[in-house]
Amino acid sequence: MNTSPLRSVSVPALAGNVGGPVADTDDETLMDLPAVEAAARAIIRNVETVIDGKHTAVTTALTVLLAQGHLLIEDVPGVGKTMLAKALAKSVHCTVSRVQFTPDLLPSDVTGVSVFNQVDRRFEFKPGAIFANIVIGDEINRASPKTQSALLECMEERQVTVDGSTYLLPLPFTVVATQNPIEMEGTYALPEAQRDRFMARISMGYPDTESELMMLDARDTSSPLAGIEAVVSGAQLRGMMTAVQRVFASPAVKEYTVSLVRATRDDRDLRLGASPRATLQLIRAAKAQAALHGRDYVLPDDIDSLAVAVLGHRLVASSRVLGHHQDSGPVVDDIVRRIVAATPVPVGATGHP
Amino acid sequence: MTPSDRVAPDQAAPDQGTRTAWRDPSARAARLKRAEWPLAFALLLLLVVADAGLGPLLEGTGWWWLMTFTAAGVLLGSAGFRRVGLPVFLGPLAGLGVLVAVLTLLFGAGSGWLWLIPTGETIDRFRDLALSGVVSIEQQSTPAEATAGILFLLSAGAGVIAILIDTLAVILRVPALAGLPVLVPLLVPGLALGHEANLEALVLTAAAYLLLLHVEIRMRRAGSLPGPPVVAGPGTVAPGRRHVPGSSKGAVVVGSVAIVAAIVVSVATPVLPGGSLTRARPGSSLLFANGVSPMINLGQDLRRPDAEPVLHFRTTATRPPYLRLLTLDEFSGRNWTAGEAPRSRANAVDDIDLPPGFSPDIKTSETITTIGIDNLAARWLPTPAPPRSVTGLLGAWYWNEATGSITSPGDTTRGQEYTVTALTLEPTAEQLREAEGAYPAEIRRSLRLPAETPALIGDTAREVTAGTTSAYEAARALQDYLRGSDFAYDTEAPVEAGYDGGGIDVVSTFLEVKTGYCVHFSSAMAAMARSIGIPSRIAIGYQPGSLSASGSVAGVGRYSVDTHDLHAWTEVYFEGVGWVPFEPTPGRGAVPAYTQDDAVTVPLTDSGQAGPSDAPRPEDLGGQNAADAQADASSPADSRGGIIRLGLLVLGTFALLLLPALIRVTRRMLRRRGLLSGQSGAVEAWREVSDTAVDHGVFVRETETPRELAARLRVLIGSVGGTESVTEGAGPGGGAAAEALDRLLVGAERSHYGRPGDDAQSARAAERVADLDVVLRGIHSVSGRRLRVRATLLPASLWRPGERRIGRPAVNA
Repeated sequence: MNTSPLRSVSVPALAGNVGGPVADTDDETLMDLPAVEAAARAIIRNVETVIDGKHTAVTTALTVLLAQGHLLIEDVPGVGKTMLAKALAKSVHCTVSRVQFTPDLLPSDVTGVSVFNQVDRRFEFKPGAIFANIVIGDEINRASPKTQSALLECMEERQVTVDGSTYLLPLPFTVVATQNPIEMEGTYALPEAQRDRFMARISMGYPDTESELMMLDARDTSSPLAGIEAVVSGAQLRGMMTAVQRVFASPAVKEYTVSLVRATRDDRDLRLGASPRATLQLIRAAKAQAALHGRDYVLPDDIDSLAVAVLGHRLVASSRVLGHHQDSGPVVDDIVRRIVAATPVPVGATGHP
Repeated sequence: MTPSDRVAPDQAAPDQGTRTAWRDPSARAARLKRAEWPLAFALLLLLVVADAGLGPLLEGTGWWWLMTFTAAGVLLGSAGFRRVGLPVFLGPLAGLGVLVAVLTLLFGAGSGWLWLIPTGETIDRFRDLALSGVVSIEQQSTPAEATAGILFLLSAGAGVIAILIDTLAVILRVPALAGLPVLVPLLVPGLALGHEANLEALVLTAAAYLLLLHVEIRMRRAGSLPGPPVVAGPGTVAPGRRHVPGSSKGAVVVGSVAIVAAIVVSVATPVLPGGSLTRARPGSSLLFANGVSPMINLGQDLRRPDAEPVLHFRTTATRPPYLRLLTLDEFSGRNWTAGEAPRSRANAVDDIDLPPGFSPDIKTSETITTIGIDNLAARWLPTPAPPRSVTGLLGAWYWNEATGSITSPGDTTRGQEYTVTALTLEPTAEQLREAEGAYPAEIRRSLRLPAETPALIGDTAREVTAGTTSAYEAARALQDYLRGSDFAYDTEAPVEAGYDGGGIDVVSTFLEVKTGYCVHFSSAMAAMARSIGIPSRIAIGYQPGSLSASGSVAGVGRYSVDTHDLHAWTEVYFEGVGWVPFEPTPGRGAVPAYTQDDAVTVPLTDSGQAGPSDAPRPEDLGGQNAADAQADASSPADSRGGIIRLGLLVLGTFALLLLPALIRVTRRMLRRRGLLSGQSGAVEAWREVSDTAVDHGVFVRETETPRELAARLRVLIGSVGGTESVTEGAGPGGGAAAEALDRLLVGAERSHYGRPGDDAQSARAAERVADLDVVLRGIHSVSGRRLRVRATLLPASLWRPGERRIGRPAVNA
């Protein structure tokens, strides 16, 4: 784990000029915030050459990546879920693997399997698809619950145990799973408890007319993914993650987060509120977002803007509210927005001048 | 999903969480159960403060406590009923019930069942009390003695107003209108009776009213009061944000207007002498009746700052006559009252009997006086005494020898024009000196003195009259004694020293203090005369007033009489002559000729100065003493004083209205100073920004982050500023303002949410102040004129600060 305390701390002010070397730094431990911001911008720009007009989704995805969370992309087919995951993975210089989940996929296909080596006359471990920095799990709800469980256990523990041996997963480790909410027949929708493992859920949504026209021009002949190159090295990515962890969350912001999460538990329109893990991940994601904007402290605005993505998929609307709605997603998102709007924002430490 | 789980589609609306709280039965029940005590107490405070505005009309303070008790019973009773779950719409009925119970308890004299539930007897009692209250109000002048009837009416009125304001504020949810009913007690002195505005009561009521609005706004914001939907101002609605009800700015504005209007009306009223308002006052010149002391009312009319015209007359008499209203010959000890005498239909006024004791030996002359009443609604007709016939009266009028008056059972003197033929008695001193003989029985009544008469009166009388040989000599000695230099005329001193009136104790005090006015002089002379066996009584009426400059028609002068000419004098009975007036008051009226030495037949003007007999008493000659001069001079001085007073009040009102602006400006100044000195930082600067935003009608919510507010402000000052910077370049606001705003925002955020101590590098105070100024100017410049005026005069941030500290105190200080 790379959460060990770091000493060489110099978090400069926001006012610094953005720029400086991005690509070739080998400082793995820490990246200063302007550099984090610049690198993040570069990644986002890179991804957006592939996906037009989805700035929020891209930013949230990167935020989750930097916060070392896992991302669930939930949307109808063909809007670019996989494209986003792939582009993001390709933009950072790290190992990427992709698993296409099907009903007959076995847990060992994900985690890896011990194979008997005839030459050495012993079992040796063949790592599965999970052994990568970024794992793209396509249509995760098509896999059997057994396989899903295996994946989700890896996500939480960041390790794999096969035949009594435990193998640590590489860091950074992020699962980007996609899910199709419409075509649910023959699928195994993720239960609430397992959705809780994902830091955030985003949906892509359809592109607007302009973006779609541009897409036609750009992707008429070839896949644009081919033209994407990594803009950030693995070491730099780790440095960014370290910087994210050092972002400061003031008591006022923590208080605000807690009251927000508690409000979901007390809300009469929700059957299931957010878990303490949600609180933790909301703060983490907010830290990442603050760093993305070159700030070394979290604002309530960070919490606000991430609340829907981070809390939405964990909450279950009461059947009364759900009514005849087929899809609970928009209903729950509205409830979250309402709670955010109704929760007073504490002003923080005014004790010192 | 079971069918019962389904809900109406409209309840599934996105933001229905905030709305369903209203529809939800349990929330409704909770709301009904709330007693809203702060509101009830604020209403009570407002009412009792306003009640104090009746102070000038009534004596003592007992009535106020009674009204307070009643109002408290009603308001707190209704609140209590709400507390125990009575439906809100039954509130007025509950209040009425409480009011009836309180009234039964206080005024039922135990006739109520369990002292509280009224019975038939109680209702009869109430009716009697109400009637007697009305009569008392009609008959008394101010400050009136708070009789049981008046107390009853006051209590009932306070209760009714309490029910009204309770209904308005709690049930109809428009506390701003609760200010209207409480204007009634405030305006009664000003409008109905022409008293001066009770400024203290007005200001206190205004303060109580603002407190009420404040309480209401606070409660509404706290969510404990559902309010009527409020139209949000510009920039107040952001999609998805909770709608916080209760921008009661409208209420505050309405309230302020009402208060100012009340102050102006009440203040303007007394400075309109002779205006329609004062003329419309019924009988304000003379309100007294049998039951109360005419003496005290007389004094009050004399002390009235603005003399008002009462009547005018022309006369053929060589000396302008006193106009007598009535005589008082019953001396009960506390008071002089008119004798009881049955009214006789036979005593028509066209042929009045000769006065008792008249003998044809006395020289008389008949005078004809035409009197027009300007503004007097009395039951007694002012006539020269003794009258022989009166013509031209409207209505039925009868004369009454016992009271020396002409009265009507159904009419008043208002608007009468009539002609009186009267006798003028011109006895010689010799005739009076020789008038001797036993007094008839009916005259002997006028010798009675109360049992508790202090010895001082008789002693003084005997001392003064020592050496006199006849009743006439004695009476003259008494008159001369009282008109002597020992005594001083003063209408104020007796009131201040607490011996006003004509009672026997007052007379005794007056003889020691030797300062008073006609009431004291006349009653002292009458009491002393009685103590040495001379029948005497007090006459009340008007002294002749002043000759109008323009009034002389065919050699007949027109005299104008005003309220300051109201007068009391002594009449002494001489056998064979009848009742003869004396003038014991120094400097008032004219000394009768028969009391002058050596000038037996030549009528003199007052104070012994000789003058042509047909000359009217000139207003400004030496005959008038200082007191009269002062009384006359007081009307221009008073109107000038009134204007000054009005000016001061207008200034005061303005100052009061400017108070919020002043507080706001001071606060801004202190903040700037704090910023410059480095004592306060970005937080304070941001607070000023958000306060200014609130002032300019931007609705700042506590659920909003600083950044969200800044985004809205940027839209506000950025749009206009952008075009300005293109066209004019150096215009305020614009891009520069938006940038400054961003700097302030980042500073504030860093202070609020950043690492403690991390904002040490933000020490460039001058820049921050400059940024602040740019932003404030930007906000100001893009606001409309109406908003700007409101932001200056009525800064909303005073009662709704832009940034409220909520939640627990910060722990990282």
